[in-house]
Amino acid sequence: MSGGQSMRHTNLHDVELAGLAGAGDRGAFGELVRRHGSAVRSLVRRMGAGNAEADDVAQDAFLAAFENIADYRGEGAFAGWVKRIAVRQYLRRLQRSKRLAAISAENAELENVVGGVESLAAGKIDLDAALNTLTLPERLSVGMCYGAGLSHVEAAEALNLPLGTVKSHVKRGLEKLRVRLASVGEKGSVVHG
Amino acid sequence: MAELEFERRLERMFAETPSFRDSDAFAITVEARLDRGWMMRRWMIGTAGVVGGVFGTSQLLVSNLIGRVEDVSDGSTKLLAASIAQVKPSLNLLALMQSDMLWVWVAGGMAVVAMGFVLTRVIEEI
Repeated sequence: MSGGQSMRHTNLHDVELAGLAGAGDRGAFGELVRRHGSAVRSLVRRMGAGNAEADDVAQDAFLAAFENIADYRGEGAFAGWVKRIAVRQYLRRLQRSKRLAAISAENAELENVVGGVESLAAGKIDLDAALNTLTLPERLSVGMCYGAGLSHVEAAEALNLPLGTVKSHVKRGLEKLRVRLASVGEKGSVVHG
Repeated sequence: MAELEFERRLERMFAETPSFRDSDAFAITVEARLDRGWMMRRWMIGTAGVVGGVFGTSQLLVSNLIGRVEDVSDGSTKLLAASIAQVKPSLNLLALMQSDMLWVWVAGGMAVVAMGFVLTRVIEEI
């Protein structure tokens, strides 16, 4: 891709770039990847994937997005559309490696907490650290609903779980996040005060 | 109310993502994978086109279509020659139109190439 073309792409809106990509302009799609790659990777990481796995999932999601670019009609944000694809890709990957089965287990509560509280104790005030205190089902449910913008019903369908179960996961996840983020906020205010 | 506020805050936090340092490298990797996939697809389409063309030509040969076309064209040539000889007996243009197996093979080859192109185009459109 020439520099001029690249410059032209940077000035275009996502919907215009998606239109060009639909006509086979891979440079235009590359610009979309540049703009939204971090957001998609970040979401998958926040849903519990390791860095390398999140990158793989995000790459697969973008490739799938390019294949199905005609389905994107600019009705919502492009990033949101790719995030939904990425979420499904990640769930499929979890399913393949049998990790998703743990979600339906009733007592998968404490044993599959993805991270610990250590990162919070170290004073890192961010969502990532707070998410580490959630169980995998809670993390997935919260990530899908608040990170990818899926409704509870959509999340339940994607996870192949009853709606009530997903709502419970979301509720418990929110409670934990509220407590963690509040406590960190207080600590932060003490430090800065 | 506090619940709703917290949910909005959470959505904002999810939306606030730092740009990774290697975002360019990530984009280049995705583009490379796209190119690789595209190249592979082109090869597959090309191969399918050639195979289709060869298969089509072999079917033409097997069905002895060329022989039949030759017979028909031979008859037509004779008929035309006779007609034109009556109009202008001195000019023997039809000697140039003698059916020759070489031309049949050239036409067959061109048909294979054309079929390959058509098939490639159709698959690309699909």
